[in-house]
Amino acid sequence: MADKFDVIVIGAGPGGYVAAIRAAQLGMKVACVEKWVNKSGKTVHGGTCLNVGCIPSKALLETSHKYVEARDDYSELGIEVSDVQMDVKKMMARKEKTVANLTGGISALFKANGVTALEGTGKLLPGKKVEVTGHDGNSETYEAENVVIASGSVPVEIPPAPLTEGLIVDSSGALEFQDVPKRLGVIGAGVIGLELGSVWNRLGSEVTVLEAMDSFLPVVDEQIAKETKKLLGKQGLDIRLGARVTGTDIKDNEVVVKYTDSSGEQEQTFDKLIVCVGRRPYTQNLLADGTGVELDERGFIQVDDTCQTNAPGVFAIGDVVRGPMLAHKGSEEGMMVADIIHGEKAQMNYDAIPSVIYTAPEVAWVGMSEQQAKKEGFEVKSGVFPFSASGRAMANNATEGMAKVVTDASTDRILGVHIIGQHAGELIAQGVIAMEFGSSAEDLALTCFAHPTLSEAVHEAALAVEGHAIHMANRKKR
Amino acid sequence: DKVLAPAARKLVAEHNLDVNKIEGTGKGGRILKEDVQKAIEAGSAK
Repeated sequence: MADKFDVIVIGAGPGGYVAAIRAAQLGMKVACVEKWVNKSGKTVHGGTCLNVGCIPSKALLETSHKYVEARDDYSELGIEVSDVQMDVKKMMARKEKTVANLTGGISALFKANGVTALEGTGKLLPGKKVEVTGHDGNSETYEAENVVIASGSVPVEIPPAPLTEGLIVDSSGALEFQDVPKRLGVIGAGVIGLELGSVWNRLGSEVTVLEAMDSFLPVVDEQIAKETKKLLGKQGLDIRLGARVTGTDIKDNEVVVKYTDSSGEQEQTFDKLIVCVGRRPYTQNLLADGTGVELDERGFIQVDDTCQTNAPGVFAIGDVVRGPMLAHKGSEEGMMVADIIHGEKAQMNYDAIPSVIYTAPEVAWVGMSEQQAKKEGFEVKSGVFPFSASGRAMANNATEGMAKVVTDASTDRILGVHIIGQHAGELIAQGVIAMEFGSSAEDLALTCFAHPTLSEAVHEAALAVEGHAIHMANRKKR
Repeated sequence: DKVLAPAARKLVAEHNLDVNKIEGTGKGGRILKEDVQKAIEAGSAK
């Protein structure tokens, strides 16, 4: 038997690596198992988020947005550039460099914190033992006082559109195109589909997004979702709702997609097709018989509010357990679990986890939408302020979108904040902090915001809840 | 000393309440607007 650890973490994504670092900071002897290898066969830390998720997609979104600004908007600002060109291979190389820097950074943080990095596939055995099978096939078993499972998620595959090398791809493949596809199909109008569709649309693809559901971004506040669809449509994303894909054919290096919508059977041909209908928890070869860890009917590892599984001393965090599949959710759970193992009474607030869609403009929200709050039985008040009335947004040449604050009408407590606009992903932090402190809309309204900043839209939306916005004509309250 | 949210501070002043008689339910015991509203309704913080 090899070394014994206080904590063994399986998976080095945002949940696992944060749990490992935190546990090591608290003085525990920690190992973290990771099987992910890069193209040259070297173990890389950071999981989906750093390697094929958050970071590479943001690198491409930022570059493609800068390109569009130079191509379409600079002239309006008096900046004359001619013949703006996009070098896709260079864009990809920079993205890969960013990923390599960050994944290397996690490995360095492991070293600095004394986390033992175990390379290979981790499997939980009964009695809190972890078997690690290396890439050479040899395995070693380690003992642990506590195990933290952070095995993450993988893209959902659908039978009508099986992945086909270079033609039908998942989100990872869509981050690797070396040329701009002329006609690009995207199945799924969720966060991932809209972001990847935006990247390639900006670079010149004709993008069609096929979404099976009849409603667009159903978890987002309706007013914000409607504005999002309008603005993305204006940019060229052809978003078709109620479009159910029934089959695909590969013909002459093209993908023919068959789908049904309200007017019957349809067919459309693409050069590439991205399948991004969702992600599922990844538990393949993870649990030996008799560990006591149980899965729910959807394949998630069953945990309580503090991420403890049915097996004492075994925790599970991140995408492999219930809750939103977001990096920061996994990381927060990782910190909570490390603290609990250390004997602290840690908990996390699942009501104030922000979500961001990194389109341009960005869409971000925290808490309940107006519709959800009503469904939960709240009498709701809301205030909305458009960026078209923001001096800073005008100066920035980015006046699209709005900020919205939703409150409980009786206590004035903020139930949700919703923003579509430039830097919405940064602005939403203000709503998260407000909600964490149990802020009322009036609390925000009584707070001093710097001028001129985009943040003032949040201030004005809070003022607008009571019809007291200064920089717009307030709608008469019913 | 009790920490009050901005709207709670204003409401306490308006109603001339004794903050020591109000229980804060916000983060770290912070007194929220809704805590003051409750105290006003119950008449418990005069």
